[in-house]
Amino acid sequence: MQFFSVIRWIAWKDLLSEYRNRENISSMFFFAINVILIFSFSFSLDPETIKEIMPGIIWVAFGFTAIIGLGKSFLVEVNNDCMEYFQMLPIPKGAIYLGKFLGNFLFMLSVEIVLFPLFVLFFNLDILDQFLKLLLISTVATIGLSALGTLFSALTVQIRAREVMFPILLLPLSVPIFIGAVEATRGILSGDAFALYRHWIELLVVFDVIFVVVSFWIFEFILDY
Amino acid sequence: MATAIRGIELSKSFQHFQVLQSVSIEIASGECYALFGPNGAGKTTLLRIFATLHRPSAGRFEILGFDGNRERAKIRAAIFLIGHGSYLYDDLSVKENIQFAIGIRGWNPTDLEIKKALDQVGIGRFAKLRSRYLSAGMKKRLSIAKALLVRPKLLIMDEAYAALDELGVAMVNEYIRNFTKEGGTVLMSSHDRAKTAEVAHRVGVLNRSVLNEMSVEEMSAADAIF
Repeated sequence: MQFFSVIRWIAWKDLLSEYRNRENISSMFFFAINVILIFSFSFSLDPETIKEIMPGIIWVAFGFTAIIGLGKSFLVEVNNDCMEYFQMLPIPKGAIYLGKFLGNFLFMLSVEIVLFPLFVLFFNLDILDQFLKLLLISTVATIGLSALGTLFSALTVQIRAREVMFPILLLPLSVPIFIGAVEATRGILSGDAFALYRHWIELLVVFDVIFVVVSFWIFEFILDY
Repeated sequence: MATAIRGIELSKSFQHFQVLQSVSIEIASGECYALFGPNGAGKTTLLRIFATLHRPSAGRFEILGFDGNRERAKIRAAIFLIGHGSYLYDDLSVKENIQFAIGIRGWNPTDLEIKKALDQVGIGRFAKLRSRYLSAGMKKRLSIAKALLVRPKLLIMDEAYAALDELGVAMVNEYIRNFTKEGGTVLMSSHDRAKTAEVAHRVGVLNRSVLNEMSVEEMSAADAIF
């Protein structure tokens, strides 16, 4: 029971801190708006072109927003030596990882949900009927991104070149997530039958499981060297 | 009396710099042991080894009978470190910081217990204030409030009186006296001989990587201890 209590406490602390300081959410939000604006002025808005390029635009915006948000995830733990407090706790360190992961996931997903109406607005997208399916893909892809982002944020937080190292580590490993998310989103926006893009969602789920389990296991060694 | 801390031939190097060299120390349960020494002597390193934050380069240690290398989880459940860091989250209030720090250890203190602990260290009226607005002394008091709630068997205090005003020092000494009377053990580092002499039972002076022990009386009588 204490294991789940640790997860709950960490996620509560992270979400409450973010709600109060809004440091991460504002930088992520304005970055995403910039991406959306630039793309909306760069491409023709005819429906066929939009269907082709939209999955890429959505996941470029989400992916780079994730880099901004997740990269700073562990910074708050270093400021007052809170990592040291975590290190000394008589609890399984994996629970700390899962708490940070849960906080990051909820945080990322809420940003993505806020961004969807902006895609509708700027690209004249008709996704109201498909919103639940898009939300499903966002959820599954964000689990994988948050799992990797949380791990690499912990790994790079103590090094000087963390802003360089974080994307260098995150981006190559998150390629399968982006491929799966873009292909599944393309299937939805093209109005394909679910069976035609289901395998991409299954691929995302497999990578989610791998990334969460491996990161959970590695985190113990990161914190308790 | 049972042994709370036993360090045997402990050495620690960072890169090629030897911070501790074959330091042996034994502290009984219920004792307050004070470490003195010039800056860079290795006091913090020794405390951090016992707090399971550093692994010694050589030697071994036991805390409350648990092996320092193999039974770290058991040691961590029984100790509490008041270190240089405040371990606070700037955007949480004083009360929320306490709830988090204690809650994550598996115990949820009641509002009354938190209020009592905060009142005891003199910051009860700041319970709703975000911790980013606390002074260094108030942060130190908050750490002591956490220790009051955690009730560890071994309390490790690095620079016990740093940032505290006179009332704060008196409060810390009162806490240490009560804590050791109840069987708790304190290992502290300090630079203030007079204040430390009020509570310490034994003193160790770390200088040039080596530990020399002396009584509190010897320390008080000496013109200089290192």
